[in-house]
Amino acid sequence: MYEVLLFDGGVYKINELYELIEDVGGFVIQKTQVQVQITVTLAIPEEERPAIEAKTVELGGKLIDVPLAGTEIAVVAPTLGRHHMPHPTCDIAEQLRRAGAITVVMGLARGKGRRTAQISADEKAVIEEYDAAVFVLGNFKDCILEHKVKLFEDLEVPVVAVCGPEIDDLPSCEGLVCGVGRKVERMRREEEIHKLEEVGTTIEEVVRQKRKELDEDPLFVHPAEIKDRIAELEEVQRSLRPAPIVLHLDGLRVKIPYAEWKDQIAAVEVYGRRLGDIADISDSRLGGSTLIRIKTRAEVESG
Amino acid sequence: MSEHDESFAYQNFDTILRQMMQELGVSRMVTNYRIKADPDAPYFLISLRLGKARASIKVSDMALVDASPDGGKITITDENWAPALLTRLWQQYGRDAVEQLTRYEIIVHGATPEALSSMELDPGEELRNHVLDAVWRIFPEGFKVRHNLVDDQVMTILGTEHDLKEEWIKIAEDLHEEMHHVKEED
Repeated sequence: MYEVLLFDGGVYKINELYELIEDVGGFVIQKTQVQVQITVTLAIPEEERPAIEAKTVELGGKLIDVPLAGTEIAVVAPTLGRHHMPHPTCDIAEQLRRAGAITVVMGLARGKGRRTAQISADEKAVIEEYDAAVFVLGNFKDCILEHKVKLFEDLEVPVVAVCGPEIDDLPSCEGLVCGVGRKVERMRREEEIHKLEEVGTTIEEVVRQKRKELDEDPLFVHPAEIKDRIAELEEVQRSLRPAPIVLHLDGLRVKIPYAEWKDQIAAVEVYGRRLGDIADISDSRLGGSTLIRIKTRAEVESG
Repeated sequence: MSEHDESFAYQNFDTILRQMMQELGVSRMVTNYRIKADPDAPYFLISLRLGKARASIKVSDMALVDASPDGGKITITDENWAPALLTRLWQQYGRDAVEQLTRYEIIVHGATPEALSSMELDPGEELRNHVLDAVWRIFPEGFKVRHNLVDDQVMTILGTEHDLKEEWIKIAEDLHEEMHHVKEED
């Protein structure tokens, strides 16, 4: 299984690291260079970690665990209005980014209120595109247990609910973190930071579980293996979006329009096969993006 | 009442209210408050006891008023009052009639100097606006059906999602009355 790590160091002799990653059969997922400093997100077979660690020491850098790297997570709040709780929502999203995830913050169009809170089919479809979703709920136990729980009861992606009051058990969600609630300022106190860490670990656990399930029926190729090949497409290279290719647990999101580029994407060659044959390529609900879901080895071989 | 224990919510709303009032600079103007909510009903009720605002002030006490060819000219001497004065002039004479020459000089077309100097500015209004702003921010967003009870001392606001019931209005009125008799910050 691949392990995703973050190298933080200088650019001096960085090519040696890239070569080593390639030699051990790994991939560079993302590079961010600021003057002479560079951070590299990389995926390597987990048994090769000691070799990378040794090279990191040699280059004078640091190797950081990023348990959520290679995932895209939606942080959903009933509304993003000032009234509600943009602060915890943003803080949770930031915490997940620190652990390596790509996050998107989303407010529901009709999520406010108690009985009036609802989620549309479109919103559900958008959330389903992500690897996991965090629902940030409010203060009243009654409101959460009787009404807000309906917002995520039909979702198939794993859900972690974050709410204020202590609740023993909440149906339809894979993880629950209590004690956050509405806030009018950033979460910077010690106990609040611990809460954020708790949200982070709950999501990590949920993602680990999903990875395990995927491993039982493994994908034909790891998404990171396809990334480099797609990155060679002209439109991707021209894209000015900060992360034109985002890894998911079971595929990728490529931020180029589906209608114009679906054929070129399907024609990309992966291990002697067309990408169109080993993955489902579809239009994303978020404008201008294409979703690629890689088929499992069994699906490819039987098809 | 709700069958669930809502102590977290009450405690959290208490913190939110305090922080919000501090942020808007009105914490000293609210001497006491009560929040009641029944999420099962559902209604949300907040009642605030207002402190004394600055005493009202005449324009002649914070500015010099002279006659000008087509109206009155005001030269502000205490700038703290300038925003309130400008708002008041706009309300009374309209934006077109109020011409601000410099930071301190305003010409009001079609106004007599006597009328201008006897005009009074009421800081209470400004205070109420700030407090109301704090309340809007704290109030649960979906509770758009509201019932307000406001007088010089107490401001009570009741909100719900659908129809307001008479019994909730009665609760709000009782709390409004009770707030007139509570001591400061108990």
